[in-house]
Amino acid sequence: MIVAQQKNIKDIAEMVADAQKVLLAGCAGCVTVCLAGGEKETEVLAAALRIMRKLQGNPLETVTYVATRQCDPEYIEAMDGLVKDVDAVISLACGVGVQYLAERFKDKWVVPALDTKFVGGAVKHGVWEERCGLCGDCVLHRTGGICPIIRCSKSILNGPCGGSQNGKCEISKDVDCAWQLIYDRMKALGKLDKLMEIQMPKDWSKARDGGPRRAIREDVIIG
Amino acid sequence: MSTAKVGAVLVVGGGIAGIQASLDLAESGYFVYLVESSPAIGGTMAMLDKTFPTNDCSMCILSPKLVECGRHLNIKILTMADVVDVRGEPGNFTVTVRQRPRYVDVEKCKGCGECAEACPIEVPSEFNQGIGERKAIYKPYAQAYPNAYVIDKENCIECGSCEEACQAGAIDHSMAEETLELNVGAIVLCPGFEKFDASQLFYYGYGRFPNVITSLEFERILSASGPFQGHMVRPYDKKEPRRIAWIQCVGSRNFRLDHGYCSSVCCMYAIKEAIVAKEHTKEPLETTIFFMDMRTYGKGFEKYYERAKEQGVRFVRSRIYEITEVEDGSKNLRIRYANEDGSISVEEFDLVVLSVGLEPSPAARELCQRLGLELNRYGFVELGSFTGIATSRPGIFVAGAFCGPKDIPETVMQASAAAGEAATLLAEARGTLVREKEFPPEKDVRGEEPRIGVFVCHCGINIGSVVRVPEVVEMAKNLPHVVYAGEYLYACSQDSQAAMKQIIDEYKINRVVVASCSPRTHRPLFQETIREAGLNKALFEMANIRDQCSWVHMNEPDKATEKAKDLVKMAVAKAALLEPVPQISAGVTKAALVVGGGVSGMTSALSLADLGYQVHLVEKEGELGGVARRIREGLKGEDVPSFLRSLIEKVKAHPKIELHLGTEVKETAGYVGNFVTTLTSGKEIQHGVTVIATGAREYKPSEYLYGESDRVFTQLELEEALAQGDPRVSGAKTAVLIQCVGSREPERPYCSRICCAKSVKLALKLKEQNPQMKVFVLYRDIRTYGFLEDLYLEARRKGVIFIRYTPENKPVVEKADGFIRVTATDHVLGVPVIIEADILGLAAAIVPQETNHQLSQLFKVPLNEDGFFLEAHMKLRPVDFASEGIFLAGLAHGPKNLEENIAQAKAAAGRASTVLSKKVLESHGMVAVVQQDKCAACLTCVRLCAYNAPRIRNYAAYIEPLLCQGCGTCAGECPNKAITLHGYKDHMQMALSGALFKEV
Repeated sequence: MIVAQQKNIKDIAEMVADAQKVLLAGCAGCVTVCLAGGEKETEVLAAALRIMRKLQGNPLETVTYVATRQCDPEYIEAMDGLVKDVDAVISLACGVGVQYLAERFKDKWVVPALDTKFVGGAVKHGVWEERCGLCGDCVLHRTGGICPIIRCSKSILNGPCGGSQNGKCEISKDVDCAWQLIYDRMKALGKLDKLMEIQMPKDWSKARDGGPRRAIREDVIIG
Repeated sequence: MSTAKVGAVLVVGGGIAGIQASLDLAESGYFVYLVESSPAIGGTMAMLDKTFPTNDCSMCILSPKLVECGRHLNIKILTMADVVDVRGEPGNFTVTVRQRPRYVDVEKCKGCGECAEACPIEVPSEFNQGIGERKAIYKPYAQAYPNAYVIDKENCIECGSCEEACQAGAIDHSMAEETLELNVGAIVLCPGFEKFDASQLFYYGYGRFPNVITSLEFERILSASGPFQGHMVRPYDKKEPRRIAWIQCVGSRNFRLDHGYCSSVCCMYAIKEAIVAKEHTKEPLETTIFFMDMRTYGKGFEKYYERAKEQGVRFVRSRIYEITEVEDGSKNLRIRYANEDGSISVEEFDLVVLSVGLEPSPAARELCQRLGLELNRYGFVELGSFTGIATSRPGIFVAGAFCGPKDIPETVMQASAAAGEAATLLAEARGTLVREKEFPPEKDVRGEEPRIGVFVCHCGINIGSVVRVPEVVEMAKNLPHVVYAGEYLYACSQDSQAAMKQIIDEYKINRVVVASCSPRTHRPLFQETIREAGLNKALFEMANIRDQCSWVHMNEPDKATEKAKDLVKMAVAKAALLEPVPQISAGVTKAALVVGGGVSGMTSALSLADLGYQVHLVEKEGELGGVARRIREGLKGEDVPSFLRSLIEKVKAHPKIELHLGTEVKETAGYVGNFVTTLTSGKEIQHGVTVIATGAREYKPSEYLYGESDRVFTQLELEEALAQGDPRVSGAKTAVLIQCVGSREPERPYCSRICCAKSVKLALKLKEQNPQMKVFVLYRDIRTYGFLEDLYLEARRKGVIFIRYTPENKPVVEKADGFIRVTATDHVLGVPVIIEADILGLAAAIVPQETNHQLSQLFKVPLNEDGFFLEAHMKLRPVDFASEGIFLAGLAHGPKNLEENIAQAKAAAGRASTVLSKKVLESHGMVAVVQQDKCAACLTCVRLCAYNAPRIRNYAAYIEPLLCQGCGTCAGECPNKAITLHGYKDHMQMALSGALFKEV
């Protein structure tokens, strides 16, 4: 899933400083699961903004809504009625949701409440880690199911490098060396020979470097 | 001419053991008479400040049990009562009980305390160990049950002030002693212990020097409800001490005073007091514990000890010569002691705490003599071999410190075991004497306009003398939806309760608000009353205008009155939104699954089968017996193989036990009362409870040449070799036993508990076979707790040589020609000693089963950091898992000896029977529910619930109402607000705070 975290509330308040009434739009997808933008966080943020503005002598009116997902047009249509009489929309979705709202509500000031961090998962309650670099050309079958693109600080394909010390990456003692993990796992699987194959330079055009991407499934497109 | 068995049990002693035994029995379908000689139940646990090793507040965890026990329909509590005589036979005893007069009618007294205010006589408070005073009319402690006062006639001057002050008319000076005859089927004795009288040891100065106090006195000083409200000061001059010393083994391990046994709990409580003392002061505090051996042998204890060292508690291995008072007027103390190497030190302290031992009370000893029970040489009850709880007289069981010093969890465990055994004895009479509360059918109030009744209590003058109650009532009458408001002297008294029911009827009230005291103690009472009036118990709200208002604002009546009004407004606003909550119930499959066919599993299985329940006993190996098959002799010299044989025969022959050998659990699902488990054999079992008793293993050492020399044995191997007359052992001239092999090490930081006693026993056995043999035990601390200390003394008397080593300086073991060279540093001489040993015995650790992890995931029950199963609460729920309906016993829980495992196995069976004896299990109502279409299946509730109630089912969370305890954690944490808690919905809480801030 997409992992996001809430911005500093002062920064959020600043973005809607001119507004008298705002809609806070939560999302029941990834950001609910990573505890950043579900109904609870949406209500809490709304209350916090109201309190803040009241203390400043400039009361703010809030409306809240939680979409099933903000990354599908059908789910945000339902907000049409609410958006009409607000001055701004604060999206508690990932960057996708913010843009979908901005696209749909063309005359509204739409701002993000979250920083979209990475694609990853929970390692325990309250801790999430990055797992996928969205490179567009998966190599996990060659690396024992451990991604060198995103989990190696240098994204090298033929690791480890000289910065691997006692299983840790030189950038921090808290970061595992991905190539150590890959080596250990391949060894456990009895497939160390696979690591002897030299990986050719990756075709980064399939990644973000090739410009904005689009995925199409011709077979399911209607009309 | 056998008489019919009686479905009632007498429990003697109202400490934690008696309370637990009573609750278990009452919940299993037996009527209980709980006889307590003091004016209130609670025992010693009520006096403690914190409890080790979790540092839970003792009173906070005890008081819910007091309330539950006090309110139980099938427990009759007789305080100030003593058992005089027991006649009859197991299954049908007639017990004579003498009840001393209280001079206060317990039914009428509401515990308001006006009488004590008026009483002019002050005497030292027993509860506070003589520090501080109580009146001649008093309640032993604030949370006491019965919540009623008592007159101490010895000190009463009969001035009549209390009678004048009592608005309830509860005082009756004419009360006289009464004699009662009780008919019961079994008896559970839990009279507890007395603390050793330290003034017998002149050299410690107790009673002579004011700043030498006992550990129990120090508990009261630390306690927030104690004489100094928790301010840690010396009783002598009320000054905070800067240097405190604890002296261990005061009245324990002292054979001159015939107290040769170890009191088992003092090491831990001293560490706890030292840690807690540090928390009580902002100033630096030096804490020093003078000890001989540090006996932190229980589960989690070794870590607690290590943590104390990190927190700066100083431990001095020493012998104390004497304590003298410093002659500078400070009343400080000077301790003169010998260090381990024989050198003498002198140190000054502001306060000295004597860690006094436990001994049986003379009254309890006398009772046992009257009952003809066998006592041991120290006057404690002698337990029948491998029974864990049986006395020498059938039908009479014992639990707690009265059969040997022990801590709270072991006491609770034994209490559940004794209750289980009593229940088994009386199985045919189960349910014959218990009463069930019946309520009229519930009125359907859904869709009705709220009609709220407000009942405001004066609580004698507790509330009424501060808060102007009539004003509160007048205000309440004008609140929305309120159709009635009235005032009551005691809302909880019987006449008020009767009036309440009548008024609910008369005014067609459908929501009730009581403004009085704490919901913790009184909500269940009022809820029962409204149920009697045909209302759902969820249609009730309480405002605490006593504890949270009149008591804390007693000098500000105006403000307190306004606050009381606010509290009532809030409660009324919420009450208007309350909805009835349906009671969810489910049937119970009357069968048990016991996992593990060792002694613990078999014992649990037999107990449950004898109670009449079908038992499925699953053992992964092809035969029963577990690790006990390798044990030849018990610590008291018992014949283990024949005990085991007879146990296995009983299990095999029992018609209610189905054996599944060579089988493991494959899958399990369901919840308390209704589990379904599939075995590897493919068989599917339906059961209401599960007992996990999967045992543990002996560690295979990688140290001290184990596996490299045939002269090196583990304890179990040495026991086997001894029994078989192995020439390596019988021909040996010198034997060395090394302790803590694999225990108390960084990778296994726990103590394996039983190896010290086992090694001492093996040393004695070696000496018995060959008195000429030189036997050395190399140890870190000898942990022969309780009566096992006698073995240690015997071993030293018979010439076994004990040499202490430290983890930094472990013995060195080398192969030599025809022997093993062991080098250790002598702790007295400080020089290396070389021993040429023929055999070497290693006290290898007890390690958890490798399958524990898998079982933990399968049954969704936790393991601790060491890999043993973790119980629901280290103190008060030692055999329960947090998940309802699953219990644990034996080595799977942690290292213990055979006797202790048997007690725990019986306890698990006893606890399990509280579930199996029920016709239906009812949810307590105020449970959390998931609105499934809002659920993102994010797992937050699943991960956070302490009771494993939520599961993901069909891509959304589902909370099993019978498992939900209504704590509200999930409702608070759900990121999409998909979970609501009955009775605490957002809009209710918003209305509540809205009412408070309406005018702001």
